[in-house]
Amino acid sequence: MSTLSKISKKVILLGHFGVGKTSLVRQFVHQKFSEEYLTTIGVKVDKKQIPVADRLLTMIIWDIEGGAVQSKLPQSYFLGAHGIIYVFDLTRPSTYGRIEDELAYFRDLLPKASLQIIGNKKDLLGAEELARFEREFSGQCDFLSSAKTGENVETMFAGLGGLMLAE
Amino acid sequence: MPDTPAHTDQDRFRRLQELLFEEDRAVAQQIKEEVETLRDDLVSPEEIQERVQPFIDHKVEYLQENFPELFGPVMAETIKKQITEQQDEMIDALYPIIGKLIRKFVSRELEQLVERIDRSINDAFSWASWRRRIAGWFKGESDMDRIVRDLARPQVEEVFIVDQDSGLLAGAWSRKPHADRDMVAGMLTAIKSFVETAFEQGEQELEMIEYDNNKIILHNFHTFYIAVTTSGVLTSDFKSELANLILAFAEKHAIQTREDLDDVVVEKNSKALKAHFDEYIEQNQ
Repeated sequence: MSTLSKISKKVILLGHFGVGKTSLVRQFVHQKFSEEYLTTIGVKVDKKQIPVADRLLTMIIWDIEGGAVQSKLPQSYFLGAHGIIYVFDLTRPSTYGRIEDELAYFRDLLPKASLQIIGNKKDLLGAEELARFEREFSGQCDFLSSAKTGENVETMFAGLGGLMLAE
Repeated sequence: MPDTPAHTDQDRFRRLQELLFEEDRAVAQQIKEEVETLRDDLVSPEEIQERVQPFIDHKVEYLQENFPELFGPVMAETIKKQITEQQDEMIDALYPIIGKLIRKFVSRELEQLVERIDRSINDAFSWASWRRRIAGWFKGESDMDRIVRDLARPQVEEVFIVDQDSGLLAGAWSRKPHADRDMVAGMLTAIKSFVETAFEQGEQELEMIEYDNNKIILHNFHTFYIAVTTSGVLTSDFKSELANLILAFAEKHAIQTREDLDDVVVEKNSKALKAHFDEYIEQNQ
């Protein structure tokens, strides 16, 4: 029986306070969700292995504390990252209003890293609000997800895995 | 005796009465019988038990299945309240148990210490011991220092090669099987990053993490660092010996962590670590 060859990659989660970064990781790694909000201080490291094509990818996920200006966080948290997941809250326009400016810093710091932009908390939007968001911001975000229901969580991480291995 | 008209009327009336109330009497009789049956049932505990038991069983089963949801929060709240309100009583109840545990642990450690001292004393009059003693006189080390050092001799437990930036594991070796080396490498790097940036002391680097009887010594290189977990009493001699050992390893093996860290690279580095540390342990036993 042939076993998949293994490879490890560092993934960082970025975004403002309370957009659901920790909940997305918790849903992806432990298949759990909690309504309780606990702010992340510093960084929390987690791990998950997923098969991608013919390889077993070990994702070492750095869930970094949220902040309005992420570039002010210690640079050492971001260094060496192969993948970036930028998360914003679909119900709070302030978390995605200046997304391009914020991403420019990380594109410059990590030019080779693969990027996924995620609009989270989809379960809190009504059909009308969702349609309006898609009309106005179509193409600016890779996935609309819900850490609560698990919608698109696996897909989004697997997608990033594919991008990182294709690099 | 000939029938008198009155006698005949009485018979006729009774006959009529019988005809009119026959059906009612049958109903009354049936009711009487059913009442008696019910009375028998009610006075027989076996009968009651047989009929009620299925309902009780069903309720018990429901309670068993849903006990944590139904009573968990109430019980947790009650226990919490009890602990808060009766701290002294709780401490009194737990104190003997904790005391016993501590006494058991201390006595076991003392037994081991006594055994090691016995071994050292037995060994004290051997030729090897006289040789060490003479060497100690020249080095200025007392017998007590030597015995204490030997009792808690430091030893290498685990070694990790980790990429400086990403915190990804590039190789590992340990005496005992380790559950999750990837996570250890990630967490060590996160702690290292935090400490090195939080205090803003220029280009200083985290060199040691201490927990319980173990210490993690970090040797920083340009693209990677090597973390060594040690147990026992860490002397400056041992630290220096370890630094030389790590430098010799890094010189001998061209460690690469900036390429793809796949299982081939990790296994190659891990094998090199194993060979290096197995040789060191063999020489120092």
